[in-house]
Amino acid sequence: MKEIKLNGLDVCVFTDILENGLEVIFVPYKNKKNYFMSYATRFGSEITTFIPNDLKIEVKMPDGIAHFLEHKMFEQEDGVDPFTYFSESGTGANASTSFDNTQYICYGTKNFEDNLRFLLRYVNEPFYTDENVEKEKGIIAEELKMYADIPEWQIEDRLRSAVYKIHPRGIDIGGSIPEIMKITKEDLYTCYHNFYSPNNMFLLIVGNFNPDRAFSIVQEIVGGIENKKKPIIKKIKEPEEVNTKEDTMLSMVSVPKVGIGLKIATRKLPKYDDLILDLYLEMLTTLCFGSSSEFRERVRKQKLLNNLYMEWESLDEFKTFLMIASTDYPDQLIQEIKKELVTLPITEEAFSRMKKVWVANEVKMVDSIDNMIHNLFDDLIRYKKIIPNKVDIIRNLKLEELKKVINCVDFNNVSVVKMLPDNH
Amino acid sequence: MKYTKKDYGSYRLHLIKTDKFKTITVRVCFRSPIKKNEITIRNILSDMFMQSSEKYNSRRNLTIKAQDLYAADIESTNSRLGNYINTDFYLTVLNDKYTEQGNFKSALEFLSEIIFHPDVSDNKFNSEKLDIVKTTCRSALNSLKEDTSKYSLVRLFENFSSNLPISYRMMGYIEDLDNITEESLYRYYKKMIENDMVDIFVIGDIVPEEVSSLIKKYFKFNTLKKARIPYLVEEKKSHRKKNIVKETIESSQSKLAIACVTKGLTAYERNYPLSLFNVIYGGGSDSKLFKEVREENSLCYTIHSVPNKLDNVIIVRAGIDKSNYEKTVELVQKCLLDMQKGKFSENDISIAKEYYNTALDELEENESRIINNYYMMELIGIDDIETKRNKMNKVTKEEIIKVAKKISIDTIFCLEGVKDERN
Repeated sequence: MKEIKLNGLDVCVFTDILENGLEVIFVPYKNKKNYFMSYATRFGSEITTFIPNDLKIEVKMPDGIAHFLEHKMFEQEDGVDPFTYFSESGTGANASTSFDNTQYICYGTKNFEDNLRFLLRYVNEPFYTDENVEKEKGIIAEELKMYADIPEWQIEDRLRSAVYKIHPRGIDIGGSIPEIMKITKEDLYTCYHNFYSPNNMFLLIVGNFNPDRAFSIVQEIVGGIENKKKPIIKKIKEPEEVNTKEDTMLSMVSVPKVGIGLKIATRKLPKYDDLILDLYLEMLTTLCFGSSSEFRERVRKQKLLNNLYMEWESLDEFKTFLMIASTDYPDQLIQEIKKELVTLPITEEAFSRMKKVWVANEVKMVDSIDNMIHNLFDDLIRYKKIIPNKVDIIRNLKLEELKKVINCVDFNNVSVVKMLPDNH
Repeated sequence: MKYTKKDYGSYRLHLIKTDKFKTITVRVCFRSPIKKNEITIRNILSDMFMQSSEKYNSRRNLTIKAQDLYAADIESTNSRLGNYINTDFYLTVLNDKYTEQGNFKSALEFLSEIIFHPDVSDNKFNSEKLDIVKTTCRSALNSLKEDTSKYSLVRLFENFSSNLPISYRMMGYIEDLDNITEESLYRYYKKMIENDMVDIFVIGDIVPEEVSSLIKKYFKFNTLKKARIPYLVEEKKSHRKKNIVKETIESSQSKLAIACVTKGLTAYERNYPLSLFNVIYGGGSDSKLFKEVREENSLCYTIHSVPNKLDNVIIVRAGIDKSNYEKTVELVQKCLLDMQKGKFSENDISIAKEYYNTALDELEENESRIINNYYMMELIGIDDIETKRNKMNKVTKEEIIKVAKKISIDTIFCLEGVKDERN
């Protein structure tokens, strides 16, 4: 296994790639009792249209199929319920689906080797029947309804569909009730056989374990699994402009909410490494709208803002900034945000302070196995690699370069969604 | 890990030395008997601490100061511990080894500035900031119903009892909010600083003597205090019949919330057999409720139970379709009856014990959970981790059945989602 030192963090990462393409990333800790493992595929809700590896024509799967498949992975032919299996050693287990990945996790302090074997086996042994697929529909419908009742969720969904015209990121990860009702066991097998292939997956483990023993278990269980041919996924021709500039929705809220989405075509930005580009963009919005920004102080004084949530998302050809705020004065807040995007008050002092904060946060993160695995996981999904020198990269960020990035952004390519109380 | 405790009369200092973490975490806990009409003012006070102080006169300046201390995290939160209301100040900061000499000391000084030198002049809190905090709080109180899960729990407790502390809304009340003034807030602040009982915890790779003298320097309390009332809430006088309440709301999903009461548990039963009962009944992802309600009958996506030990209550919650109400309640009852009849295996018990053991192992990897364990040892006399492990491993099936028989369903609240199916 290859050893990679994470500079400045006293952490070593061991990586290897099996012959069939499965990527293995191990981060052993000496002073912890617990471990956390994640077995993941680069298949999420975004992929519903593709040419399967054994066909010549494109198929369209129902929306929400990746998430449905994740639920059904827990069904095993021998009847052993993975939750029960893990529980026997006091191990926690779960799974989650995102736009661009699905992961199966388990975490605990005991029975490491058998749990690893079990995790690898159950994710490699799908068992779908008409009955068990049908039974799941009621459960998932309740899950979708649970999310649909959360106002922040509603507006985020609506904001994404205002930003993206044809990209499936505009569709909810779980799909919709009518779509999931269409799912069949054949659909699930098709997705499984196209995307749950070693060369589309990775295994990430952090915590208390022996990496050599773990590696030999991985070889024993997954080493013999053959790679499947990759399906063909056509490039999505998403327009560079936002889909809708303005949208208003009514909901059962008492306090209005505002969603703002800034869409940037990556080709218009300077040709930096993807991580560096993301860091500059993150820096830009942290300085403008973060907790220590002048903007926050100003809108707080004017009582325009109750709370604010913001994130960047990175697609192949786009960088999108999403902001969701709760406010009693939506129009005024929108004006203030737009004004801020024009003036961009960025100082050298704030820029250096934020670099210091980011470096400190990297060091703090190492203390928690949970935080560490989430961070490495995100890097593996987003950049497809472990970044050994993130601390150095942060230290080397330069204000002039941030300004170069800013000069390339069209701050008018924005969608605004208002969510107002439904007073019927 | 090395633990030491010193009682200075006006507060107790708990130091936990461990080399497991790169950060040092400090928790300062203030507590006093809970009063319904003081919850709101206490919440406002907590928020005001984080808005500004005498020296750092805006939220932005406070944030910048914290960032300068290598991204120190500081927060203040309120919670209820049985008959008490508890205000915590948390500080998490990198050890000087990873920053610079004196950074921890400056962070402690900063925390003490926030607690002891708030933004007050002429015995009044800053009115502009109070206005902002009240506005944000009002908006949060007004939007309670937006979070149907939280709202259903609040309404369950209000229907469960009209006077026990569990029925108090921890987020506060609009009526009380309107009455808070710059002066009344300052009076409340003085009362809290002077009369509350205080515990301070510091965990990390520390030199105990140094930390001890820094705490003495920056945290000065003068009055001697003693707990006057117990933490454990008295048992509720039970309804003869089950109390069933329904309310409707414009949402797709219905939220079912059930309060079960426990009667006459001993301290041992509360801390041990009850925990195992809960894991088997509805606590784990492999519980009876999860299997029967979700896996076998597809009635929900989430269902779980949580014991609220200091209130003698176990809460069962599920997100369901309202047409499945009867069936779900029936299964919740059936699973409880199965527990009382002993319809669970030795294997279920050993799984529950493993689950608990892992939780104890994981507890030792997390600073705030370690602190919390010591805090609960101090307040309600729970056992230390090793004793817990030993006693839990010895719990028998008979003891769990005995506890199950002391549990009964008291109040059922269903928040019915009546939004038309539009999708």
